[in-house]
Amino acid sequence: MLLALCIGPMAAGIIAYCIGRRNKTVRDYFADIVTVLETVLIIYLSIRSLKGGELSFTAPYLCGLGLSLKLDGFRMIYGLVAALMWTCTVIFSREYMAHYPRTNRYYMFFLATMGATVGVFLSADLFTTFLFFEIMSFTSYTWVAHDETRESLRAAETYLAVAVIGGMVMLLGLFFLYNITGTLVIDDIYDAVSMAVKRDPLIKSRVYTVSALMLTGFAAKAGMFPLHIWLPKAHPVAPAPASALLSGILTKSGIFGVLIISTDILRYDKNWGFMILVFGVITMFGGALLGIFSINLKRTLACSSMSQIGFILVGIGMQGLLAAENGLAVRGTILHMVNHSIIKLVLFMCAGVVYMNLHELNLNKIRGYGRSKYFLMICFLAGGLSISGIPGFSGYLSKTLLHESIVEYMEVSGAMRGTYKFIEYVFLLTGGMTLAYMLKLFVAVFIESGDGSLSHVRRSPEEIYMAEDVDDGSDRYGRYLGTASRMAILIPTIMLLILGFMPYKVSDRIAALAFPFMHGQEHAGTIAYFSPANLKGSVISVALGIIIYLVVVRKLLMREEEGKRVYIDAWPKWLDIENIIYRPLLQHIIPFILAFVLRILDRMADHVISLIHRTLLREVEPRRPLLYGNAFTHVAGVAANRLSAILNRTIRRKNPKYVNYEEKLAFSFDEALKTVRLTSRSVSFGLMMFSIGCIFTLVYLIIVLLLHVK
Amino acid sequence: MDIYLLKDIPILIRTDTMGLFFLILTVFTWVMNLIFSIEYMKKERHRLRYYIFFTLTMLSMVGICISGNLITMYVFYEFMSLLSLPLVLHEQTAEAIAAGKKYIFYSMGGAFMGLVGFFFIYRYGTTLTFTPGGVINPGLIEGHETALYLVTLFVIIGFGSKAGMFPLHGWLPAAHPVAPSPASAYLSGNITKMGLFVIVRYIYYLIGPSYLKGTWVQYAFIGLTLVTIVMGSMMAYKEGLFKKRLAYSTVSQVSYALLGIAFMTKWALVGALLHVVFHSLVKNTLFEVAGAVIHKTGFKNVKDYKDLARKMPVTMWCYTLVSLTLVGVPPTSAFLSKWYLAQGALEASLPVLSWLAPVCLIISALLTAGYLLSITLKAFFPGDEYDYPCLEKKEPNLYMLIPILIMTVGAVVSGIWAGPLVNIVNNIVNGIL
Repeated sequence: MLLALCIGPMAAGIIAYCIGRRNKTVRDYFADIVTVLETVLIIYLSIRSLKGGELSFTAPYLCGLGLSLKLDGFRMIYGLVAALMWTCTVIFSREYMAHYPRTNRYYMFFLATMGATVGVFLSADLFTTFLFFEIMSFTSYTWVAHDETRESLRAAETYLAVAVIGGMVMLLGLFFLYNITGTLVIDDIYDAVSMAVKRDPLIKSRVYTVSALMLTGFAAKAGMFPLHIWLPKAHPVAPAPASALLSGILTKSGIFGVLIISTDILRYDKNWGFMILVFGVITMFGGALLGIFSINLKRTLACSSMSQIGFILVGIGMQGLLAAENGLAVRGTILHMVNHSIIKLVLFMCAGVVYMNLHELNLNKIRGYGRSKYFLMICFLAGGLSISGIPGFSGYLSKTLLHESIVEYMEVSGAMRGTYKFIEYVFLLTGGMTLAYMLKLFVAVFIESGDGSLSHVRRSPEEIYMAEDVDDGSDRYGRYLGTASRMAILIPTIMLLILGFMPYKVSDRIAALAFPFMHGQEHAGTIAYFSPANLKGSVISVALGIIIYLVVVRKLLMREEEGKRVYIDAWPKWLDIENIIYRPLLQHIIPFILAFVLRILDRMADHVISLIHRTLLREVEPRRPLLYGNAFTHVAGVAANRLSAILNRTIRRKNPKYVNYEEKLAFSFDEALKTVRLTSRSVSFGLMMFSIGCIFTLVYLIIVLLLHVK
Repeated sequence: MDIYLLKDIPILIRTDTMGLFFLILTVFTWVMNLIFSIEYMKKERHRLRYYIFFTLTMLSMVGICISGNLITMYVFYEFMSLLSLPLVLHEQTAEAIAAGKKYIFYSMGGAFMGLVGFFFIYRYGTTLTFTPGGVINPGLIEGHETALYLVTLFVIIGFGSKAGMFPLHGWLPAAHPVAPSPASAYLSGNITKMGLFVIVRYIYYLIGPSYLKGTWVQYAFIGLTLVTIVMGSMMAYKEGLFKKRLAYSTVSQVSYALLGIAFMTKWALVGALLHVVFHSLVKNTLFEVAGAVIHKTGFKNVKDYKDLARKMPVTMWCYTLVSLTLVGVPPTSAFLSKWYLAQGALEASLPVLSWLAPVCLIISALLTAGYLLSITLKAFFPGDEYDYPCLEKKEPNLYMLIPILIMTVGAVVSGIWAGPLVNIVNNIVNGIL
């Protein structure tokens, strides 16, 4: 049954492609049915699993190393979140993709990725995780590349490169891990690692190396700094339903991996926790900062995803640091994961509605689009308030929990108080920045009046006429959103509100389910979410956010232009790590050096052979008596001739000189010999030699005298 | 069956599981390439000559697989080198003749280097017949270990030339682009494996791994294979001519298998033998895809491969799947062999080399992704300025598609249901270690 959850959608993807060749409407309904079935099946299995213990599945010989899947609390939650997200987006896709070309391909990979993603979340051993993770990376490539424009192909290339490199580095980590532990079953790894470390304490450093290698793979998918490069590029170019999934759930599959490393391989490890915390803080802050600068609707949301992933990583880091008292951190982490998934689902679909109607994402151009579109406004507002952590909404709960875990650690340990105080402030500031960029989006789209030039690209009368036979489930006469799509956006919005309004009835129970997976220790007593202390943090954040919005966004990031205030595109293009570091390094520098060295090796044998061919094994001319000169002049002359030939070919290519140096040398040598012979026989030469002898004698005498005087 | 060539020089035909393993692979891919040739060779001249020598090459390879002692194997090995020469020379252009010369020079030179080893075994071994665990006479070898190591290195480098191992790999990138595609498929997928097979016979059936484990010869052997792995991939990455790129890829991939042989541990050897099968399937498919593309469109350089997937969807899908296999993406098959190779390398726990080997495997896998998948991307995503309506279908006919499809399915499915194959290989390895 569990295997069917993963393989089923993949097979359905191929079937959908075949159906789509004949009839696109049937294909759309088929895709809906598949996702709904998947959701129902997961719910059914979850209930069965809650009643009668965990469900698990192992096939030891499938795929070589054996597949094994499991359905425990955490996996249940995330399987369900995944299925739900796919159900909503597939319904939304019908309207969104109605005017796109190549939808068959889209649906095929859409469903295939669903199977792979569910597979990642259900996996019970790391090999299974890796397997589905790789499939997921490759199938989701097509989403990013779907438009096939220059930007989307480049973004897709980045996405794939990050995925492939990350995947292979992770595989390297798995090689070493299996060598240390002898098992990849997630539940057994902690014991195996402890045993190995007990046997040989030196292995500890290797465990860190392994974890770092695996982290590279998972963190790349999660969007952790400095591997976040694909996030702000891939999201704006992918179709909106795909962006929602990329941001809401595929990043979480990376987080799933980070959780396995942090809670199983290196459970309660303080060093590791601190490292994750630091990366988390950088990611969180950096993402929010980029979000404030961006004026592209979907790019801002992508930066926001990066920032929220940072929050989640902070939670994971705190789990490691708090060790046995990690209850708050565990709750915060899981709740923020779930919240963020659903929030991003809502927000990206809202952005999709805008793009679908205007084909534009620039805030200056879509300004005022959402005025008087109350449905869209409410949904967007619910998402925005949640993500900004306004009390009463779901994001508030998880952010409060994360904040509390930092405060708790300061109380528990007392060490490095300054650092953690600093982290706490950054945390609150980032919360404020979240509010600021969400306000920026909300005000721009829903409150400010546009310039009246909004051109509704979709739904011109001709198009409606032409699309008559395409039943995309929407009202064709002027409404901006069809009923089915409304439902798709409404359902997650309601869930979001429920999560926020019923902290004890719903959210706490969800958090409790994840405890066994993350090895959380239950916190004593219930958490007073709305106590003054907790509200204080939120109030500080909100205040900071409003200040940032008023000062930075309204004053610094807007300017007067043709009588209107417009948003300045402050996106730091020059600060693109990808273009500054990764691409030059990976595309030019490293290949150049490697290729240079290796090409020498490659040609080595050939060159040795040709060298032997030219020297030892060349055809030798028989030795002839020299016509002129002697052996010395012959050798020197031939060498000079060769040198001259080389110079003619290189330096003196323009005006070559052709001189036979052998001949010339022989004659000048003869000449010299003759002159020497003549001179040595003359009287004046004798006289000269006598004079030189006299001078030497004189000098000698003078030196002797001088030495004697002293 | 014992026949005496001269007094004391016996010809022995005998089959064991190791030989059968290679034999089945050889004959299977021969059939596949033969089917492919029917359509491909329609455009070529001298078809009869091609078919005759293609078959004779296969037969001589079968001879290598079923020979029971050193002399027999060497005779068939030389037959193979000579009989496959007309395949390289087939087009009779100046380039083909130069490549043919190079091919025969490297093959013969390598074989003569290896011959030293055979004389050595004749002097210091108890018999010439292949025996698992080796035939070295411990009494005689006492005090001559250095000679043993040197001679082994000569054999490895000599026969490594056929397997495309550095430093004598130079013939592969020269010979493959000029031969007809099915022939280069066979050269690359199977003839290279015969060099590897001879090294296996020499190390595991004549010398015995116990004499070599932990010696400098083993280190040198591993070092050479690692250099070859990275070098082949890098050169392929930089190469534009598709068949030449594949030739360099072969240089790299066959050395994966050689690496497994060099480590001399159980899992490394399992990985090596699995990789022999998987690489053979994949590389035959890749060369046949290259052949199909040349046959239908005439494109030889990868820069022309844009939009190819629209014209030949089935072919390019097969290409993509086998590319993913070669990169080692699970659940396709070559992932499995890499896994075992890496585990075998780590199991051997040699200093430095044990962890360097997996690192090199991963670097090479990344480069493999770079040089194979970039073509897929180009072929499937030509960009939005591409004019869709005016494309024409150029899918090759069934004679070409069927072998490609069968081998692709084989390469992918043998990764998913790997159990039986792994069991077979396990039994073979247990028999010799």
